[in-house]
Amino acid sequence: MKKLVYKIFSLVFIAGVYTSCDDSLDQIPFDNLSSDTAFITAADFENGIRGVYNGLTAPGYYGSSDAGSLLSFPDIISDNVTLAQRGRRSKAYLHEFQYLPSASPTGFYVNAYSVIFRANNILFQLDGFNGDNKASIEAEARALRAMAHFDLVRTYGKIPTQSADANESLGVAYLTDPDPLAEPARNTVGEVYQNIVEDLTFAAANINVDNPEGRMGRDAVNVLLSRAYLYMGQWQNAIDAANNVTTPIAPRSSVVDIWEDSSQDGLVFYIPNEATVLNLNIGVTWSQGGLTSLIPEYVVSFEFYNKFNDEDIRKEAYTLPAANNASGLQFNAIKKLFGRPGQSNGLVDFKILRAEEALLNKAEAQFELSQTGQALSTLNQLRDQRYTSYAGGEAGNALRDAIRLERRLEFAFEYQRFFDLKRWGQPIQRGAFGDLADGTGTPSENLTLPAGDIKFQLPFSSSSLDLNPNLVQNPGY
Amino acid sequence: MTTKFRGFLTLLLALVVQLSFAQQKTISGTVTDDIDLPLPGVNVIIKGTTTGTQSDFDGNFSINAEPGQTLVFSYIGFATQEVPITLATNTLNLRLQPDAAVLDAVVVTGYTRRNQTVQTSAVVAISAEEINQLTPTTSIDNLLQGKAAGVQVTAANGKPGQGAFVRIRGMGSLVAGASSPLYVVDGAPVREQDLASISNEDIENITILKDAAVTAQYGSRGANGVVVITTKTGNRNRDAVVRFSSRYGTINKIKDNFTMMNAEQKMQYEAEMFALGVAAASTRPGVTTEPGSEERQFLLNNSRDWQDIMLRNGVIQSTNVSFSGGAERMDYFFSTGYDRNTGIIDNIKGFERINSRLNLNFDAKDWLTIGANVGYTRSLSDEPRDRNNVQNPFRAMYIYNPYEPEFQLNPDGTVELDENGNPIYNPTHQGFSIRGALLSEPENTVTNLLLASVNTTVKFSPNWNYTFSAAFNHVNYRRESYSKPGGILQNIIGDPDFPGLKTDNGAQRLDMTLSNRLNYNINTDSGHNLNVLGLFEYNFNENNFYRVTSRGFPSAALTTQINAAEVTIGTTNRNRLTLVSYGLFADYNFKERYLASASIRTDGSSNFGKGNEFGTFYSASLGWNIAKEEFFSVDAVNDLKIRASYGTVGNRNGIDRYAPRDLVVFDSYPGGSSTIPSNIGNPELKWETTKTSNIGLELNMFNNRLRTVFDYFERNTTDLLFNIPTAHEAGVPGGGIAGNLGEIENKGFEVSIQADLIRKPGLLWTVGGNAGFMKNKIIELPDGEDIAPPTTFNILWREGESLNQHYLLRYAGVDPDTGRPLYLGIDGNAYTSDELVSLFPEDTDHRVLNGRSTIPEVEGGFFNSITYKGWGLRTDFVFKVGNYINNFVRAAIETDGNNPAGNHHVGAFNYWQQPGDTNVLPSPIYRTEVIASDRFLEKGDFIRMRNIVLSYTFPSELLERSPINSLRVYAQGQNLLTFTEFFGDPEVGISSGETINFVNTVAPGEATLFSYPQTKSIQVGVDVSF
Repeated sequence: MKKLVYKIFSLVFIAGVYTSCDDSLDQIPFDNLSSDTAFITAADFENGIRGVYNGLTAPGYYGSSDAGSLLSFPDIISDNVTLAQRGRRSKAYLHEFQYLPSASPTGFYVNAYSVIFRANNILFQLDGFNGDNKASIEAEARALRAMAHFDLVRTYGKIPTQSADANESLGVAYLTDPDPLAEPARNTVGEVYQNIVEDLTFAAANINVDNPEGRMGRDAVNVLLSRAYLYMGQWQNAIDAANNVTTPIAPRSSVVDIWEDSSQDGLVFYIPNEATVLNLNIGVTWSQGGLTSLIPEYVVSFEFYNKFNDEDIRKEAYTLPAANNASGLQFNAIKKLFGRPGQSNGLVDFKILRAEEALLNKAEAQFELSQTGQALSTLNQLRDQRYTSYAGGEAGNALRDAIRLERRLEFAFEYQRFFDLKRWGQPIQRGAFGDLADGTGTPSENLTLPAGDIKFQLPFSSSSLDLNPNLVQNPGY
Repeated sequence: MTTKFRGFLTLLLALVVQLSFAQQKTISGTVTDDIDLPLPGVNVIIKGTTTGTQSDFDGNFSINAEPGQTLVFSYIGFATQEVPITLATNTLNLRLQPDAAVLDAVVVTGYTRRNQTVQTSAVVAISAEEINQLTPTTSIDNLLQGKAAGVQVTAANGKPGQGAFVRIRGMGSLVAGASSPLYVVDGAPVREQDLASISNEDIENITILKDAAVTAQYGSRGANGVVVITTKTGNRNRDAVVRFSSRYGTINKIKDNFTMMNAEQKMQYEAEMFALGVAAASTRPGVTTEPGSEERQFLLNNSRDWQDIMLRNGVIQSTNVSFSGGAERMDYFFSTGYDRNTGIIDNIKGFERINSRLNLNFDAKDWLTIGANVGYTRSLSDEPRDRNNVQNPFRAMYIYNPYEPEFQLNPDGTVELDENGNPIYNPTHQGFSIRGALLSEPENTVTNLLLASVNTTVKFSPNWNYTFSAAFNHVNYRRESYSKPGGILQNIIGDPDFPGLKTDNGAQRLDMTLSNRLNYNINTDSGHNLNVLGLFEYNFNENNFYRVTSRGFPSAALTTQINAAEVTIGTTNRNRLTLVSYGLFADYNFKERYLASASIRTDGSSNFGKGNEFGTFYSASLGWNIAKEEFFSVDAVNDLKIRASYGTVGNRNGIDRYAPRDLVVFDSYPGGSSTIPSNIGNPELKWETTKTSNIGLELNMFNNRLRTVFDYFERNTTDLLFNIPTAHEAGVPGGGIAGNLGEIENKGFEVSIQADLIRKPGLLWTVGGNAGFMKNKIIELPDGEDIAPPTTFNILWREGESLNQHYLLRYAGVDPDTGRPLYLGIDGNAYTSDELVSLFPEDTDHRVLNGRSTIPEVEGGFFNSITYKGWGLRTDFVFKVGNYINNFVRAAIETDGNNPAGNHHVGAFNYWQQPGDTNVLPSPIYRTEVIASDRFLEKGDFIRMRNIVLSYTFPSELLERSPINSLRVYAQGQNLLTFTEFFGDPEVGISSGETINFVNTVAPGEATLFSYPQTKSIQVGVDVSF
């Protein structure tokens, strides 16, 4: 009898240790917050909008994905760079015009839509919020949404000024809801630009004049808006938007410093990039290694390098004589993302929008409106701050070419060239020079993309097509 | 009075003792089996005492006993016999009768132990003895290969301590990791990647549970089979047995079955490429130096084979000591061991492990038993980079050119020194010296694993008992990765203001299982045997992670981060998963003739949506051992058992632990935090369910000399857990939402045969083998859409097709007229790469699924074992048939002029040169027309001699005068022979470990991409017991 009591006692005792197990099935995450508790206070929305910006630093957007990103492909596909044989051939399929549905910079497409989802999510969450800074947050979210769509549509769709059929052709899907199950069809180019203008116009009117660093303010939105109008061929609107940009362009004295992050002159939207915050070595998209041990992926094309004359401060600011001593090779390296003074690690701020663009957009629009005098003087405002001296005084086609050349020089390796050639309806024509400093070495594999070629519109990747039955591929792929 | 009496009694007792000493006598004899084969290792114990001995190799024993006592002879697989000692007993020759019931190994399911004879489901047990024969593999999962029909094992790679991909009866799940079986060590679930922490020497039994009748007992987690590992225990009433085993040997890379170009050939190749217009070759020495020139001669004089530079003959070593035994009320097993496998990369250390274990069982009262199995292991591993980039030594050993020396050379051929007098590593054309980087970029891991399982059983009555057990599996993992200041990598991407970069990251993983079992057991004289088990179990799993990265180290000698200038990353993470289970299991047999079992189990898991946490799984099985029927009178047949089972099992792996919830995470951004949506929740998430039907036949004949098992199974998995991809435009975090969708089916036939061809005194020749023939099919996918699974290269899943097929453009060889590469269009005709686009304006995707999968159709193993007197020779082979591997390694060394800078295999010379050339590679002129295709997709069939052991066990006569009980010496070879037509080594698991790591692999063996190669080893060893 005593034994039985012992036995039962032991059983009860042991069983008592864990009787409370059943309610343990309700587990709450430690590393995450539930979405519905993440957007309540004003501070939550500040965090939220920064989350949208954060998406811009993703590898496929302004990050340095080896498959290509907006940071590099507009120059890689065009005539500003030459593939360096010493490198890893990263992104070579873009440079050699070998992009196909099975080989495309899918990361860019995915990352851009991720920014759009985040922006739409903020806008959705803002509905029930009436606290501080609501209007400006809404403006920022819409500006970011517009910017991401703009980047997508100019990559995958035609640009309105590119050809007469552009506005009626398919652009990309313009999304305004955070619908996780969306399988949208493409909007026409005209519709997409209409939406971009609408969002940017709202943003320009409501955004704070200045926002903290790493975020857009009113000038940034106006630069984008002037670009959108320029792409649409709405010249006067482009000029008006550009005129609303109040940030002065960088003076000659700070041009070198900007690319070493010791000056922010002329920057209307940039994202600081520090070892402790973000810490993204984006410069590896162009090269790795130091001045004597450079492993370049791409170098300044010899033809383009010669366009920087010695009186142009940008030669020093944008290009860099470098070598790989072990291989006995000399290069004209790309300096823009190379590193801060004394560094070669490619850890530099993301410079996304600059006041200089407003000026060049304006000059181009003025020229198109035949306001050649104003166009020349607008152009000279920039040239005065770049050259110690220049001939100038161009007229007619020479003026147009001068504006275009200045745009190419000013925005070298800065995400513009491919789109500029595309919207001007020009071919891509590379010089038959090699990858070494003196133009010898190995030239790029393919030198020409004829004007109007289908490859000016990038293909949607097979995986994007597989996942969205409503997505229609671009003609020719 | 009492005192007096006591004193008298003591005296009397002393006399009696005296007397008994006088009466004690030595009894000796031989124990044999039913056909007079000597039985070594038979336990001979004097009943009721702890005194005992063991028969030697020749079955001889000798023991001191006194008349009136009884000797108990016991041996696994044989009926225990008791022999009373009389005054006349001097010699005792005994023939033990096989106990048919236990001839096959004991089957352990974690909750119960049973004999194979009464088992009604498909299980395979591997005994300690067999494990002992195969020890050189450091990980248990590798050891399973070829041992059990229907168990597919793909070695992950050749890295020391690395495990294998184990798939029991095919791929039952679509997400990474979820197709692996559940591993349970002494009741504690263990992650597949932690198996290397368990010493083979400690294992008593590995039981593989294949069908639902047994896996259903594991309800939630048994869907992909269960591997139950039981560690050793001591024998009761036995003096301590000391066992010492040690082996030592060398390990090497298995020689390639192709040849790389030597310096002269490579330069010739470069010149040829340049002549064909490959501009990139223009700067290569084959173009810039003239044949016969001084410069050329200099390069030739200093050329080396990079495999010689990069690799070494490694050392493999193992030492283990164990003590086991027991008294009447307790038993114990103690062991400690050390293992080392340096691997084959020169300059780094490889894998090291120390382990120790104590298993104890104690009958505290006649109704109370307590037990503890506790093991601790510490494993150290040096990790080479396993990525397809310039930092990978196994890529470099092929890609570096033989004319590129290890160090930079002065014009006179001497090694160039830096300002400190150290040789300067040659970055080679790759721009990165791996030889230097192995020293300056060390990465190593330390894994401490504690497996502790304690239990107590309370016996209420002979029929009723209750067991409580608590099993803890605690992993403490640390990884350190250091990029030393001044090192190879820092000189390329480092920050000169903050030299050196160090990351420490680690994990604390706890898995705790509390289990309560109420057991009812009845065996009636009329032959009814019933066992019923009620279960209540709680499992708690928690992971804690940390990561700290700093930069700026004043000296390369300092490796801890306290000395760093600045912390750049510091994070911690935590997650939990819980499981609550209730189960009822019943097994019944009537005279071992009619067998039945049934189970039901309900599991609730915390990673499913509210209201969907619980899933109920059940099984039933029946068996009939015809040979046990009285009417059955075929003497040759010992067992003829037919069995059938059906059951359902669940799976909860493959989704995030918090998948049902909408979540955000916070990242840093200039100005403060940034909110990142991290998960779109699916509150409807529920259990994935697998239904398995199994029919089996077991036939043992001729005194069990022929042993066969046949099984046919069908597994059907529904409500597949899967991260269902969303449209890219939706912008969903992670690109998808976890859901239950889809259905897959695996079917197969398994056969396992063993035969003792010769079973004579002194000579035993056994052969055996097994094979699993498997088919699978995707029955349904989300929305019927094809899925290109993440973490694969070119795999596509499509409804109606088999799993893990390569989805590639078909290469059609070289146009004999022009040398251009051709490809098959969707219409089946051959086209050039341009025509594939230009002639098909509508659809330019010409890739096809044509049945070529990463999963073999047949897989298995066979062995041959001969023992003669003390000699033994055993060979084990494994084989795979029908799988396809995308050979990216061949693509990298056969580039048709696309990468003239890197080295090539000599076959690259065989390119098209003139019209009419066939069986050639494309002309380098058309190198840009070489596009991704199945050109490098190759059959992965192989037969490999996994193991060969030649051993000698010393006869007991020789050892009689020594304290040694048994002594075995052996020489063993692993992977010494391979038969394959694959280019390179056909045993491919991980393609590139940092691109797709072990845990994230859904298609093991899809491709080769310079992961750690397979190795071969030769070892000598000794096993001694005292």
